[in-house]
Amino acid sequence: MIRLTKVELRRLMARRLTAVGLAGLFLITILLLVATWFDSQPLSAAEERQAQQQYEMAHKDWVEHAEEMRTQCEADWKTQPNPKPKLEEMCSYSEPKPGDFGKPPTVFAQIMPDLLHGSSYFLAFAAFLIGASFLGAEFSSGAIGNWLTFEPRRLRVYGSKLLAAATGFVPIAAVVLAVILIGTFLIVDRLGDTASTTGKVWGDLSAIGGRAVVTTALAAALGSVVGLLLRHTAAAIGVVMAYLVLAEGVFAAFLEKAQPWLVKLNFDAFVRHDAQYYVTECKSGSDGSYACDYVQKTLSFEHGAWYLAIFTVVVVLLGGWVFHRRDVN
Amino acid sequence: MSDVAISTRGLRKTYRTRRGRKVVAVQGLDLEVPSGGVHGFLGPNGSGKTTSIRMLLGLVRADAGTMTVFGRPVPAQLPEVVGRIGAIVESPKFFPAFTGQKNLELLAEAIGAPRARVGEVLERTSLGERGKDRFRAYSLGMKQRLAIAATLLKEPDLLIFDEPTNGLDPAGIREIRETMRALGEQGKTVLVSSHILAEVEQVADTVSIIGHGRLLASGTVAEVIGGGTAPTVKVAVNNHEAATRILTAAGMTVRADGNYLLVEGAPDPADVTRRLAHQELYVSELAPVRADLESVFLELTEGEGL
Repeated sequence: MIRLTKVELRRLMARRLTAVGLAGLFLITILLLVATWFDSQPLSAAEERQAQQQYEMAHKDWVEHAEEMRTQCEADWKTQPNPKPKLEEMCSYSEPKPGDFGKPPTVFAQIMPDLLHGSSYFLAFAAFLIGASFLGAEFSSGAIGNWLTFEPRRLRVYGSKLLAAATGFVPIAAVVLAVILIGTFLIVDRLGDTASTTGKVWGDLSAIGGRAVVTTALAAALGSVVGLLLRHTAAAIGVVMAYLVLAEGVFAAFLEKAQPWLVKLNFDAFVRHDAQYYVTECKSGSDGSYACDYVQKTLSFEHGAWYLAIFTVVVVLLGGWVFHRRDVN
Repeated sequence: MSDVAISTRGLRKTYRTRRGRKVVAVQGLDLEVPSGGVHGFLGPNGSGKTTSIRMLLGLVRADAGTMTVFGRPVPAQLPEVVGRIGAIVESPKFFPAFTGQKNLELLAEAIGAPRARVGEVLERTSLGERGKDRFRAYSLGMKQRLAIAATLLKEPDLLIFDEPTNGLDPAGIREIRETMRALGEQGKTVLVSSHILAEVEQVADTVSIIGHGRLLASGTVAEVIGGGTAPTVKVAVNNHEAATRILTAAGMTVRADGNYLLVEGAPDPADVTRRLAHQELYVSELAPVRADLESVFLELTEGEGL
C-alpha cells in the first residue's frame, strides 16, 4: 500500500494538469498579495487633508444641530405606529470621530482570517479539479485496466490513489497558505497595522490555516472519488458546478433553513470555527400585523467538522464499493 | 508446476445493454490451456474471447463458474499469481501524456521491479531509442511493443495477448508472431486470442475455438484440423473406375475431384499407392489434402449462427 501510494504520488506530481494547477495556485497567490499591497496603501497627503476637512465639517454640524435633531426625532418617534422602533436606535446621533473619515489602516489581525478563508476556496477547488482529473483520466484512457493487471487488489489500488491525492495536496496547501500569511504580514507591517497581532491571533490564524489544509486534502480525495465514479474530469466538474448552482444557489435561496445541511456553510463553519447565516423569520403580531425579520444564526464548528467528516466517509465508501464491484472494460 | 496453466469451468457472464436487454457474452465456458507453448484462443468477433480474458484477469466479474490460473482459484487468489501473468487486453492502454519509459517506471515501481529492468525490456522490444517519447506519439506497433515490454517487467510464466496484431502492418504482425513463438519456445505459456486464424495457426501448439461464449473444439492444431481422423489424400491415376473399386474394397471412401480422386480413410497415404500398385495401377501424383484451421473454424461456427 505504501509502495503503491508512493507510485501514485509520483504519477500525480508528474501530470501536466498538476503542474498547470500549481502554476495557477502560484499565480493566484501572487495576485492576492499584489491586491493586498494596493488595498493597504495609505491615503495620499491630499486625500488625508480632504478627509480631515470632512471630519471638521461634520463635527461642527453635530455640535450645532445634534440636540435640535434629537428633540425633533423624539417628537417624530412618538407619532410612530406600533410596534415602534427603539428610541435609542432611531434617534442616535453619535459624535463623529476622525477615524470615521478617510481610510482606516489595514489591520493584519482583521484581514488575515478572511484572506485565509478565501484562499481555502481556491485551494479546495484546485485540489478537487486535479483529484477528479487524476482518476477520471485514468478511467477515460483505459489505463486503469492495465494497472489492475499489475495490482488486482482493488481496494489497495483505490486507497493508494485517494491517499496520494489527499497527501499530495497537504504540503502544497501548507506552502500556499504560509506564503499568503507571511507575505500579507510583511505587506501590512510596512503599510498598515500589525501591532495587534498577539500570540493568540497567530494561534487562531494557524488554526484556520491548518483547517484549510485539511479541507484541501478532503477536496482532493472527494475529487478523486467523483472522477472515479463519473470516469471523466469534465463530468466531475459539471456535477460540482450543477451542485453549486442548484443546491447552494437556488435551493439555499428558496429553503433557507436547509443551509446547515449544504456543503459550503459547513465548510465555512469548519474553516472559520463557526459561521453565520441568515434566515427570514416571519410572524403575526397580536394586532394582526405580519412582519418578517432577517435573523442571524450560527452554525457551529463541531457541526461543520462532523458534517465534512461524515460526508467524506460516505463518499469514499461509496467510491470504494463501486470500484470494487465495477467491471473494467 | 501444474500441467494446466488456465482452467475454466462453466464460466458465465451476462451484460445488460443500455436499454436493459441482457446479452450473454460467455455461457458455460470450459477451457483448459496447457502449461508451456502457445495456445490459440479462437472465435469470431463477439464470441466472448475478450470477456473471458477479462474475467481471468479480475477485470470483469463472472456471474457463474470457476477459474484457476496455475492451480489457484481466481479472482480470489489472483494477487498470489498475478506476478506470473503478463497481459495485454485489446489495444494497449497507458497514460498517454507520459513517455513510454515513464509508464514502465511507474509499473515497475508498483510491482517492486528494479528500475534497471525498464531499460532492459525497452531494449528487448526495440523501443530503447523511443522510450523518452510520449505514449500518445507512438504508432500502434510501438504501443503493442510497449505493452509487451510492460508484461516482461514481471518475468511472467503466462502471457495473455488479446488480438495482439489488430491494426498492425505486416512487419508488425510478423514481429509479434515471432515474439509469441519465442516466448512459447522458452517454456512460457502464451494464450493468444484472435479471430485471424492464419496468424494463430502459424504459432499455436494448441487451440480452443469458442462461439457464442461456449467451447466448440479444443486440442492440438493437428487434432482440431484433422478432427483425429486419418487425412484425406488427393490421387492422380489413369483408371479412376478401377482405382475407386480397389480402394473402396479396402474400406476407404473415394470421390472424384476433376482429374483427381479424393481418398479418405487411408491410415497411411502409402497404403493407397501400395494397394493400387498391386493391381498394376500406378499413381502419378499423391498429396495429402490438409484442412486448415480456417475451414475447421468456419465449419464449427457455421452451426452457431455466428
